[in-house]
Amino acid sequence: MSFEHCVRCTVCVENCPIFKVQPKFPGPKQSGPDAQRFRLDGEASVDEWVRLCCQCRRCEVSCPYGVAVADIILNAQLKYSSEHFSPFAAHLFANTHYLGELASLAAPITNRVTSLSLTKTILNLLGVSTYLPMPEYRFRTLSRSRRRKGRGARKVVFFYGCYLNYNRPDIGRGIRDLLVSLGCRVVMPHQMCCGLPALGNGDVEIARRFARKNAAMLTEYINKGYAVVYACTSCGLTLIHEYPELLKIPEGKRIAENTYNVHEYILNLIEEGYAQVEFGEVNKKIAYHIPCHLRALDIGYPAASIFEKIPSLDVHILEDNCCGLAGSYGFKKKNQATAVNLGKIASDAIRDLEVDAFVSDCGACRMQLGTLSGVAGEDPSQIILESLKNAQTKKRSLL
Amino acid sequence: MIAREYDVVVIGGGMSGFMASHTLSRKGYKTALISQGDPVCSLSTGCIDVLSRSKDPLSGIRELPDDHPYRLVGEKAVEEALQFFSQIMDKTAIPYTGDPRENREILTPVGTTKTTCLVPRTMAHAQGDAGDYIHVVSFKGLKDFYPSYITSRIANSSFSLFDAKVTSTLSIATRFEEKPFLDEFISWIQDLDTPFGTIALPAVLGMRKPMAVLEELSSKTGRVIFEIPTLPPSIPGMRLFRALKSTLQQAGGHVYWGKPVSSVERRGSRIEAVTLATSGRPSRVYGRAFILASGSFVSGGLFASRTSVQETVFDLPVFVPGPRTDWFNHDFFTPGHAIEKAGILIGPSFRPRESDLENLFVCGSIIAHSEIMKNHCGHGLAIATGCAAANACDKELS
Repeated sequence: MSFEHCVRCTVCVENCPIFKVQPKFPGPKQSGPDAQRFRLDGEASVDEWVRLCCQCRRCEVSCPYGVAVADIILNAQLKYSSEHFSPFAAHLFANTHYLGELASLAAPITNRVTSLSLTKTILNLLGVSTYLPMPEYRFRTLSRSRRRKGRGARKVVFFYGCYLNYNRPDIGRGIRDLLVSLGCRVVMPHQMCCGLPALGNGDVEIARRFARKNAAMLTEYINKGYAVVYACTSCGLTLIHEYPELLKIPEGKRIAENTYNVHEYILNLIEEGYAQVEFGEVNKKIAYHIPCHLRALDIGYPAASIFEKIPSLDVHILEDNCCGLAGSYGFKKKNQATAVNLGKIASDAIRDLEVDAFVSDCGACRMQLGTLSGVAGEDPSQIILESLKNAQTKKRSLL
Repeated sequence: MIAREYDVVVIGGGMSGFMASHTLSRKGYKTALISQGDPVCSLSTGCIDVLSRSKDPLSGIRELPDDHPYRLVGEKAVEEALQFFSQIMDKTAIPYTGDPRENREILTPVGTTKTTCLVPRTMAHAQGDAGDYIHVVSFKGLKDFYPSYITSRIANSSFSLFDAKVTSTLSIATRFEEKPFLDEFISWIQDLDTPFGTIALPAVLGMRKPMAVLEELSSKTGRVIFEIPTLPPSIPGMRLFRALKSTLQQAGGHVYWGKPVSSVERRGSRIEAVTLATSGRPSRVYGRAFILASGSFVSGGLFASRTSVQETVFDLPVFVPGPRTDWFNHDFFTPGHAIEKAGILIGPSFRPRESDLENLFVCGSIIAHSEIMKNHCGHGLAIATGCAAANACDKELS
């Protein structure tokens, strides 16, 4: 719905993480619907503060009147960026894909170099924050792993996303094997970044270029009867929401209709009776930090529904806090204080529960909260795999 | 299309929807709660108004017109529902206080008093006996709370301002969760030179653990301290809503948050599923029974056009008090506009009376003849009818 449907109830402001800790940001109501009437075509953007929004989309999820608050703000951010000079860091993060390609190719050296204090000083000077240890890059990325696996009747094209590809391919391979064990035929074709980092850094052209390439590849698989499955909830939101809407990719609607969250897909396999799964005990107390973009998808919390089937697992859902890193947002020096303040709030919530581990679908949330809380962060698939493994061990010991 | 199956699907994430969901998940039903955005409840004062017309709100129910939903619930069931609400809140970081059989007066941000019944424990001392000295502490630059409104109305009162370096209720509440900030604030209060008496603050004492903050403040300063509810964004409203949501999730209830219901699937006189207007593939939620808790006009459960009123989810027949010319009083501020009576007429089992739907139950402010503004019964009515509709639904399912 357009900005004119806003009744100024302030529910979005209540939900805005940035507004809580960054006084320079006037909040989603003012930066979205209120300011929209002044952003007439042909007028130059003067709202520099609009860039302070981290696009968590909590405003839009909370709006009782269906106003597309986050979409309005994102468009204003893109308009502002197109008219103004973008800092070096923005260009760097818009191109996460190429950055990852290069960094993973030279993985051992990259990791050594990024841990040097001199590198950190240079990065700081370039506007990149280094309060988090730089994510380690892996040479054996998913794009350099086995592309096809499994012979099942259910065909899946796995859109793994940059973080799993370059930084945590082990988790990616775990998800691939999990799907295979449930009777899926999984392919992991060559793919580009989903485009969200480019949108978040004000470069709609790069985003569209990535999206076009991905759309052509995914459509080919959809035509062959494959379902698209994503693990990173931000990639998922981009495929489902931004491809057809903001980026206006012609195949976007079709892709959106055929794209599934990996746990949603697994849950469907189980509930349809296609996959018979025996869950073993996982004797853990975990906090489930819900990524903002999973909330924005409004598909419920499918991983939590799977957790309910795991005996002895004690799950506590935490969904009221944004981790503050928001992809590349917190990696920018100017946002560092905001990101750290939000990260502290979210990690206090985890620490208060005195859990063994926390899980989150989003790699950025895990990086941020793992470091700030000191509690180990896991992907939901790791808990599920642990449960399946425990079930097998138990079976074997009974035999 | 993905499908999820539940015993009960509750539509509306406000007070009544939450109480219905809590009642049913406690009875072991698999429950889903669907909401388009956050509820009005998160903008509320967080206080539970039950009925303002008499000292004992429950006995006041007898004086209400026969068609008021409280009459259908019955005095005893209203009391039990309020006790159930208090039990739920006792296990959270924002316990409530108060007696369902006794109304109380609490201080408002404009220095008047407001009649309510159950209040967050942070407002326990907001009742105050006349003559008690009240020192109001507010914050420099805070635009949503003017202490001089209070001091100009109350004789034995004064105020001072603390510089929190931030100027919104939300950001101040966020700062109260930081230990160094709290310590600085405490030592500032200790140095204040004020006559002995209670200290009142706008409701900003942190989001997650306000009672812990309040207790530390009181013990270190040796003063009786209480919070005053503020304009929206309302911290006590948010605390209440978030606590209800998280305790429901902990009890096994599922929530679907954000998108409206775009279509309803019926088979004969039964509803089988509702579809959510999610981006991409619409998601469908199946249920054996449905509870409508979508609220009145403000919440979007009812929509008024120039000539008629529609119910927005199931298109149920709506009771409307005459033509539009009769909807409003001439004076806006006179309570009891006729349009407040608009809503869904329900039968004794909380089903819509003028509809053939068998597995649909209705609760909250969408019920006809509630007249919430006139009776000051918003949250109380939501709690009572939420529990009652859930109990009726339980009878149907078992």
